[in-house]
Amino acid sequence: MIKTSYPLNKVLTAIARQHATKERLTDDELAGHDLSADERAALKAGDIAALYHLGANPYLIRRVFRPRFPI
Amino acid sequence: MAEIVAAALTSHAPLITGKPEIAKPEQRDRLYAGFHELRRRLAAARPDLLVMFVNDHLQNFPYSNLPAFCVGLAAAYDAPSPGGARLMRIPPRKIRGAPEWGMALLEAGLAGGFDFAYSYEIESWDELSVPLHFLTPEGDVPVAAIYTNCGAPPLPVPRRCHALGAFVGDFIRSRPATERIALLATGGISHWVGTPETGRINPEWDHRVLDHVARAEVEPLLRWTWAEIERDGGNGGQEIRNWIALLGAVPGWKGEVLAYEPVAEWITGCATVWVHS
Repeated sequence: MIKTSYPLNKVLTAIARQHATKERLTDDELAGHDLSADERAALKAGDIAALYHLGANPYLIRRVFRPRFPI
Repeated sequence: MAEIVAAALTSHAPLITGKPEIAKPEQRDRLYAGFHELRRRLAAARPDLLVMFVNDHLQNFPYSNLPAFCVGLAAAYDAPSPGGARLMRIPPRKIRGAPEWGMALLEAGLAGGFDFAYSYEIESWDELSVPLHFLTPEGDVPVAAIYTNCGAPPLPVPRRCHALGAFVGDFIRSRPATERIALLATGGISHWVGTPETGRINPEWDHRVLDHVARAEVEPLLRWTWAEIERDGGNGGQEIRNWIALLGAVPGWKGEVLAYEPVAEWITGCATVWVHS
């Protein structure tokens, strides 16, 4: 079953288009986005596994949170 | 009549050129040798146009607008852009597009049951730049790019991708022009990118793919579901759709594997395959 979260992918796309990589996102960066509490927490923690399981696209996770990947 | 004079399958990954020094030298050299042999054969076929089956990595098509199949009508493609050039460590350059050819394909599709999306402006990444760096270093062969959604599921099923390729093959052979067309599909084979398993490669699955291709057995590939490919080939393995589309254009043609290396440092099962009648 494909799990995808449009709110997560929308915010990740917006950040990715700024061509900056992040360890974590801030409340300022998430302002105006309609995210669940779990989604918001995962973005603020830079928790790449949680983001994946919540339905964020892995290509977007990697682009935004590149420093979180050991390889 | 236009003619398909060459066909090839390769992987694409930014690290293939971006970080050559981190790979094991023998693996890197064998893969590069495979690319160089492909270049030699491709040049010998003297193509007028390179039709490429490739995929976006969400740099063009966001979740607000996601085409299953998109024909590129750009006048030129960055291969790579100045930004991409830094990442992939290859010189920035523009490769000529083939918008008139693309428009003809688009119109044929609409008349014949394939409602392609189209785009006049495509930001190309490693899906074009890395293979073309090796295969057309002079940048003298124009490119027609056909993008299939391989990265933002739900994705078109393999059987539909094969039918798309068959349509493109029929379109080429129906052209009155004396064009010499080379086909190139890039992507795969197994790799996990951005998932919790990032860095995993599955050589067993890669060999299964290559064995099927070598024997011109497409049917087993067409039966794979998204979930099976995701499990065995990873999210990057979904790019096998590009290979499947190309194989649809040249029924019965077989693959000759010139190189296969599961390069852990580049997080990709990397191959170069010559496809011939």
